[in-house]
Amino acid sequence: MMTLAARGLCVSARLAGHAVAVLRDLDFAIEPGKILGLVGESGAGKSMIGRVLARSLPSGFAVSGGSLDFHGADGKVSDLVAMDGAELAHLLGDRIAFIPQEPLTALNPLLTLRTQFGEHLARLGVPAGDRNARIIDALKQVRLSAPQSLLERYPFQLSGGMCQRVLIAMAFASNPALVIADEPTTALDVSTQATIVQIMRGLQRDHATAMLFITHDLRLAARVCDEIAVLYAGEVVERGPARIISQDPQHPYTRALQAANPPLRGPLTRLVTLPDQMPGLSALAGLTGCRFAPRCPTRDPSCAVASPELRLMAQGHWVRCAPACAGFRPAAPSIMRMSAEASASEPVLVVDTVAKHYPGKRDWMGRRGQGVDAVRTASLSVRPGEFVGVVGESGSGKSTLAKLIMGLEAPTAGRILIDGHDVTAASTATRSIRLGALQMVFQDPQSALNPRRPVVRLVTQTMEAARSCASDTERLARATALLAETGLPPELINRYPAQLSGGQKQRVNIARALCVTPRLLVADEIVSGLDVSVQAQILNLLLDLRTERGIGLVFISHDLAVVRYLCTRMLVMHQGLVVEEGETDAIFARPQHPYTRALLAAAPPDDLDSPWPPSGPAQETLDAMA
Amino acid sequence: MAFLTLQLLFRRLVLAIPILLCVSALVFAILRLLPADPVGMSLPPGATAADYEKLKQAFGLDRPLFEQYLIWLGKLLSGDLGGSIFFRRPVNELIARALPATLELVSAGFALGVIIGGAGGLAMFAMRGGAGEHALDGATTIMMAIPEFLWAILLILFVGVSLQLLPFIGRLGPGIQLPPPVTGFLLVDSVLTGRWDSLRSALLHLILPATALAIGLAPLVMRVLRSSLLETVQDDYITQARLRGVSERRILLRHALPNAALPAISLIGVQGGFMFGGTVLVEMIFAYPGIGNLMVDAVRNHDLPVIQAVALVYCVLVLGINAVVDVAYMAVNPRLRLAGSR
Repeated sequence: MMTLAARGLCVSARLAGHAVAVLRDLDFAIEPGKILGLVGESGAGKSMIGRVLARSLPSGFAVSGGSLDFHGADGKVSDLVAMDGAELAHLLGDRIAFIPQEPLTALNPLLTLRTQFGEHLARLGVPAGDRNARIIDALKQVRLSAPQSLLERYPFQLSGGMCQRVLIAMAFASNPALVIADEPTTALDVSTQATIVQIMRGLQRDHATAMLFITHDLRLAARVCDEIAVLYAGEVVERGPARIISQDPQHPYTRALQAANPPLRGPLTRLVTLPDQMPGLSALAGLTGCRFAPRCPTRDPSCAVASPELRLMAQGHWVRCAPACAGFRPAAPSIMRMSAEASASEPVLVVDTVAKHYPGKRDWMGRRGQGVDAVRTASLSVRPGEFVGVVGESGSGKSTLAKLIMGLEAPTAGRILIDGHDVTAASTATRSIRLGALQMVFQDPQSALNPRRPVVRLVTQTMEAARSCASDTERLARATALLAETGLPPELINRYPAQLSGGQKQRVNIARALCVTPRLLVADEIVSGLDVSVQAQILNLLLDLRTERGIGLVFISHDLAVVRYLCTRMLVMHQGLVVEEGETDAIFARPQHPYTRALLAAAPPDDLDSPWPPSGPAQETLDAMA
Repeated sequence: MAFLTLQLLFRRLVLAIPILLCVSALVFAILRLLPADPVGMSLPPGATAADYEKLKQAFGLDRPLFEQYLIWLGKLLSGDLGGSIFFRRPVNELIARALPATLELVSAGFALGVIIGGAGGLAMFAMRGGAGEHALDGATTIMMAIPEFLWAILLILFVGVSLQLLPFIGRLGPGIQLPPPVTGFLLVDSVLTGRWDSLRSALLHLILPATALAIGLAPLVMRVLRSSLLETVQDDYITQARLRGVSERRILLRHALPNAALPAISLIGVQGGFMFGGTVLVEMIFAYPGIGNLMVDAVRNHDLPVIQAVALVYCVLVLGINAVVDVAYMAVNPRLRLAGSR
């Protein structure tokens, strides 16, 4: 008995007259009460399923073969691809429900929760008089406290986690046979993620719902799913029971994906990265053999000729790989040695009990509103060559701290010293001290790079300052050196940001910060928007920069594993306060503050036998925070 | 909501005072600098220099400019706009008679513009990519390319003179008596006193001038609403509604349209102010007895008190329509009502 079965599903895009398969021969089946994970990086085609069902494929894309069979409760089998729109709309929201990626934008901003949920219940045929009670009941099931008071709220008055709970409640309101969750926790904080996963799994188990769980996070999928299918460039490269896929993957890509994820426990080894990135549409058109071959570490020449079929490895475990490559193990990665800190050297940066208070807006009578304490008090110091992590969730004040360090905002209390000079007060002199020593790398490479400038002018932007008066030849030479240092191919030098991939843009972003040879980089969530394999490349690049240049780093992130991999010391921020500070290893081994403990418990552990999401006191702290 | 609306209107009112003071002072000063002689024009032929001086004193025009302004302002605050030099009647009375006519005309033009613009924008969106959209797009270009006074003349020539479908002079047909004045608004008074003949005639007389005014607003609303709808339907909540099986019709009217209307409402607020400016020419062309016509007569005759008063009335009307649009915007957008409460 199956709920949903894909049989040879193909989606093609027309590119310069040729059809390119963006989803090729997709086969899977989900049974009632089971969760299938569809894991892949951006561009793998994992969100195409949702778009096929919503009939909202991008223009030029079309289903070119296969079927997507949905088994109704009455035993009727209907092909969701072939059936007409009205019939499909009848199933959607009722028998088949969706949980979206961005909860805050998935609800209509102009309507109250009562109106939106009520509209959904009306469509399900719930009589008007019963709807309020049904809504309150559904909101209770997703553990929202005081549901009555939420009814007249608008989406913008709720947090992302609360919106996602509302959307989960709506999805399960019709007791659907199938729920499709497309990256349901990606936009949320770690602590919220654990709660959301628990609520979602609970409802799914209680209703014996079949679930398609789409994610980029192999570690999370291993926790949530019964079975996992790994997608690469539109093809399932490996499929099998979640435990096997996460612990003993056979395909080189799944292995690479696993190896690119820094571990939360155990010895640190240098991350093994794949070259380049997943082929885009135009690159796919030119590929004849195995789609992974150009990046595959085995480099078997036969792979470039013909595309391999899925082979059965063991009970329920399939791999799309030539016998020669499957099981290929790369050389054991080297254990990382943390460079011992030169404890005698003077710190480059000292942040001494700074605070930042944003005053409230004046109302029409001139009275000030309450205002926000973005940073209540924070101190830190960074020595040359030291990597310091700042960990916190949204609203913890970690980005404000970065802005204070960079002088983009003035602190309301405290001092900031660079090389012993007080740079707290903004002046031409302090500005020039700052610019000589610090550079910032921004979170979103897309918006941090001026789209109308070529790479050569982007990375040497600081040389435009009047005092440097660099010639074009000098700038070209500097840009070439910077590209080489950040691992970018030299032919990119005259490209524009739109012609670069996400990882390349972030490298350009870093190269730009390196142009004035700063001694300290301030990096605000610089890998959070990137795929794991690209993230690993950037992390290794930062480590190389420390070895080669002795550069220091303030690394702001919500991702504990990444901070553990990079930083020797870390700070944990919560609601504008530094709640814990110390050596990274010590904090991971013996967290002192309850918030730190809760945060560590919220991240899914690598070891599948330790329970997650956490229960007991850690769970209560998480719930209280959400 | 009611409290917030009052608060918003109060804030607008407080801000309006300096604006009105500036406008009145500016108009006052510019009019006095013009080489016009209202005293000379209002004297009968053969008047002596002594007569001239006497009348000038009577009008108060012999005093320093600043003093004249303060006297005018003082009277204004007690509700007296002074006397018309040309019509020889209180300005209050002239405005009280003409203002309701203009308000009726602008309301009709405004409503017509918003309805045509809204419906047209929806139609353009619904027919996107097809011949219908191109046709409507062409129509908006033609509407915008021809100024509204020229539209007024074209409407008169085509609908009024050639086809003889609709009247185009004044507010009422010949032989129809005015309804007994209650509010001064012709349509309202007709309904209140049960005078259906005058209601019908007044409505027919409104159609052409209101259309001429609406043409200034409708194409802009159409274009903004169309492009705003095209953006809105890409939003996440629209996709989610579709994935919940909500009907396309409901998605468009209930989810996309209110969100897409926000930029259109802002635009209407800006354009609504311009519509009052349009009334001057349109009222003149249709011989419509509103404040626009009053203004033209006053300018022609150098009737300074009337010009000042009407300029001030225009200023109040523009500020008023901006406040109304602000309230409407707040009513549609909960973010503005609930800002800060989270």
